[in-house]
Amino acid sequence: MSDFLKGNYDLDEKIVDDADETNSAKDEFKKKALNSIGGSMVFVEREQYVWDGDTEDE
Amino acid sequence: MDFDGLVKGIADIGYDWHKQRIVQNSSDNVPYINKTVKALEAPDADKANSAIVISAGPSLHYNDSLSVLASSDYKGTIIAIDGSYVKCLKAGIIPDYVITLDPHPTRIVRWFGDPDFEKNMEGDDYFSRQDLDIDFRENSLRQNRENIALVDEYASRSKLIIASTAPTNLVHRAKAAGFDMYWWLPLVDDPNSEGSLTRQMYKLTKLPAINTGGNVGTAAWVFAQFWLKIKNIAVVGMDLGYRQDLPYHMTQGYPELVQMLGEENVTSELFPVIENPDSGETYYTDPTYFWYRKNTLDLIANSGATLYNCTGGGILFGDGVRQIGLQEFLSDYG
Repeated sequence: MSDFLKGNYDLDEKIVDDADETNSAKDEFKKKALNSIGGSMVFVEREQYVWDGDTEDE
Repeated sequence: MDFDGLVKGIADIGYDWHKQRIVQNSSDNVPYINKTVKALEAPDADKANSAIVISAGPSLHYNDSLSVLASSDYKGTIIAIDGSYVKCLKAGIIPDYVITLDPHPTRIVRWFGDPDFEKNMEGDDYFSRQDLDIDFRENSLRQNRENIALVDEYASRSKLIIASTAPTNLVHRAKAAGFDMYWWLPLVDDPNSEGSLTRQMYKLTKLPAINTGGNVGTAAWVFAQFWLKIKNIAVVGMDLGYRQDLPYHMTQGYPELVQMLGEENVTSELFPVIENPDSGETYYTDPTYFWYRKNTLDLIANSGATLYNCTGGGILFGDGVRQIGLQEFLSDYG
């Protein structure tokens, strides 16, 4: 694109694209947040208390 | 996101975050698995009649529960969780079993005295926000050294019920301390469901799986009730709520809630107040503790079992939970 569009003035300040950096920081925050809120272990099974796979796999 | 939304989302949130870690830890631990919970002898006599699960809630401190237990002649089974173990030792109680579940790579080893304390605690204020064990707030090198010495002295007298998901540094620490280790697998989903993590971990480890309710305290109760098959089980220190005078910023998940929702959105709505009908006292809770509570109550209700809650406060009440004083439990079942 820069080959076709050329500005006719110069900026005093250099513009840095920090989008990737921001996203990465957000991901890291989210990761930390989810870690804590997720608790010690995830639980979805509500009726089975123990499971011994031996009997099913052997 | 409101309180209900957070509570409902916890399972999915945690599942995504934990799945890589728990499978990887289980794989890493395979070389160390030489004995499973199947090798445990069934408790007999008084040890089979009753058990006390010592969770790590603040009531242990405020209600002096460990002193009451230590000064009794209790002959039943004592099960400590990782977070209450050192506190038990300091009170003169050597648990029959110590159970650990959490896969966190740097925090959990701290409960047993961390040889890499300074490195692992760098930039982590988790323990300084511990309402669970106030002693750990100090978070000092001296205290860590004392904990290492204490655990080294007594570890061989307790059986460590260690989850396949334990971080490697905890496994090494437990071995060095001299624990007699018995491995198990957290039942994190339906093993017959497609893509089951439980089944993935089972294929790696061949360990029997035990339900956890999402936290190590409930896992300890499930272990006592359904693995050891002990008849009468009490819990202490299972508050699942905070005293009203504790500021929100001292709760365990506060910084993460702020990071996720923004400080302006972390309001009292996320910390609902619940009255304990037995004591009439009120406590506030947070999404994670409320989720633990729901899981635990569901497990109890679905099993038809009775859990004797001797915490002396907190928000664990409901069908199947009988709140009685610790002294009364010791008299009736000790």
